[in-house]
Amino acid sequence: MTSTSPSLSSDATRLVTPAMLVLWLVLATVPLWISRVGLYPYLGIEILIWSLYALAFNLVLGTAGLPSFGHGAYFGIGAYAFGLCQFNVAANLWVCLVAAFAVAGLAGALVALFISHRRGIYYAFMTIAFGQIFWTLAIKSHGITGGEDGLLKIARLPADFGVVTFDLADNVAFYYFVLVVFALAVVAMWRLTHSPYGRVVAAIKQSETRAAHLGYHVWLYKASIFTLSAAISGLAGGLFAMAQLAAFPDVMSLHQSGYVVMMTLVGGGLVSFWGPVVGVFVFLIARDVIGALTNAWMLYFGLLFIAIVLFRPEGIAGAVTAAFQKHSLIRRQGNSAMRLLFGAERWR
Amino acid sequence: MFDLLPHLLNGLTLGLLFALIALGFMLIVGLMEQINLAHGSLFALGAYLAMQLMGSRPPFPAELAKAWIALPLGWRYAATLVIAPIAVGIVGMAIEFCMRRTYGKDPLYGLLLTFGAAMVIEETIRLIWGTRDYVLQVPQAVSGGFLFGDLIWSTYRFYAAGIAAAIIGVVWLVIEKTSFGATVKAGAHDSEIVRALGINLTRLRLLVFVLGTMLAAIAGIIVAPIWGIRPHMGVDAVIPAFLVIVLGGVGSFWGAVVAGLLVGLCVGLSGAYASEWSLLSMYILLVAVVTVRARGLWGKKSVLEA
Repeated sequence: MTSTSPSLSSDATRLVTPAMLVLWLVLATVPLWISRVGLYPYLGIEILIWSLYALAFNLVLGTAGLPSFGHGAYFGIGAYAFGLCQFNVAANLWVCLVAAFAVAGLAGALVALFISHRRGIYYAFMTIAFGQIFWTLAIKSHGITGGEDGLLKIARLPADFGVVTFDLADNVAFYYFVLVVFALAVVAMWRLTHSPYGRVVAAIKQSETRAAHLGYHVWLYKASIFTLSAAISGLAGGLFAMAQLAAFPDVMSLHQSGYVVMMTLVGGGLVSFWGPVVGVFVFLIARDVIGALTNAWMLYFGLLFIAIVLFRPEGIAGAVTAAFQKHSLIRRQGNSAMRLLFGAERWR
Repeated sequence: MFDLLPHLLNGLTLGLLFALIALGFMLIVGLMEQINLAHGSLFALGAYLAMQLMGSRPPFPAELAKAWIALPLGWRYAATLVIAPIAVGIVGMAIEFCMRRTYGKDPLYGLLLTFGAAMVIEETIRLIWGTRDYVLQVPQAVSGGFLFGDLIWSTYRFYAAGIAAAIIGVVWLVIEKTSFGATVKAGAHDSEIVRALGINLTRLRLLVFVLGTMLAAIAGIIVAPIWGIRPHMGVDAVIPAFLVIVLGGVGSFWGAVVAGLLVGLCVGLSGAYASEWSLLSMYILLVAVVTVRARGLWGKKSVLEA
């Protein structure tokens, strides 16, 4: 994390960093070429939504250092909240997205009440237990969630801005909508992790005891970051319900919760803000490319994951950073293009 | 009250099985402070290997296979209870060779490594045996049922619970009453001093890990006739095992056994009244206990809560 460096680097104080701008520009061109490289626009949507989800998850795992292994629950709750709000409350995009955010946040807050005094393995398993509870509830409450069949016929509601209204039924239009939400959420999360609040959370990651002795209410910080992460995961879940036109319980299972942990770590979420995004790209593209060649793509991804944990525990982002730091020449040239892109040393 | 008795008995036998499933996991957590998420996959692998050994096409060269099939079922079963865990132990050895690199680091890395290993083993199982369900044959002596009161009881459940109790007893004896157990516990407590005393800690850890994985396989073979053999059985086992350890408290042997029994009773009793929701009951039990007691029932301080 950036915040471990003693002095505030210039990017940390910015609202929008050069890296963000470049990323958004590249992402904005995706619909123009994604079909030509043999992939499909829907994959782009999936990558953006999962990136948002993984970034939100990394607030808990990477920034606060809290092992949460049941995060899929909040993603799923967001998806169900979006669908149920659309059916029962108001078929308005903004209302439904706020509902996804709020309901998942509420669920997160409830769980945070129980777990925020716990540490390590007990914390980790409490998150699993709550994840399993929510998952079971989703599967067994046929009347509300549709059980294992899922909540079907969720519509992609039009984005109504008062003066103009955009129809999001088309994948490309929806992609751009998700990109805008993603960009706003990234700015919010970047500001959050580099705010005084974010730095206290990072201090708790280093040592809970030390932070408590400095007079911070560790419990409150742990609970609030978890709630916030759950809420943003819920927002991503709401978008996912729109993308899939349905909400299914399988995203809430322990396996899928494990995937987001894997994505975050493979990418390098523990050392970098952008790690989760890198991880999602690698994971989803590997799924499609290796999955097209063999049914057992999880076998190969599992092997890759083992190799990363063993040899590059800081993930892809960490490996790239390490490679940069070997090239002291690039390091000294403060404004080299690559540094502008990745903010090499600030990844530490 | 008498209506409750069958459910209580059922819960107790189930509890012993949960304790058995958690035993290998506990050995590794308690003595090495490492979380082995591959426990469930190794449990499943043990069951699949046993099924293959007990089935009509054992994985041996042709002549040996003929001699093997000619053996009486009881003998084959007994031999399977030895061969399959050894094979799984070899896989466990491979995992430990990798896991070595994470000792002394954040325990998260060991957990992630074994999560990756679990994925690989599960996919391998799926590649070899497909996604269909299998049944593990057991000798006549322990299958079938008997009448007691007005109810039919499954013989196998009691056999399995008996075996589970026996294995729990043996593991307790080994840990608490032998010099091997004392050394291993000392190694977990203060590895530097144990090394300084000239004990080969690397070999000791390997041994503990392999024992833990073999226990996973044995649990798989014992539980398979009750739960059935399917790819998902690994996940179905590792979560209760993890839960039992957290509920009992890391580092407490009897904590884990009591937690196993509690979970069994909880699932058994709730299964009688609200079978749809019975699996939920163990999570609620865990949340209720850990909300009040930070380290489960009788947990000790460990690096796993740093």
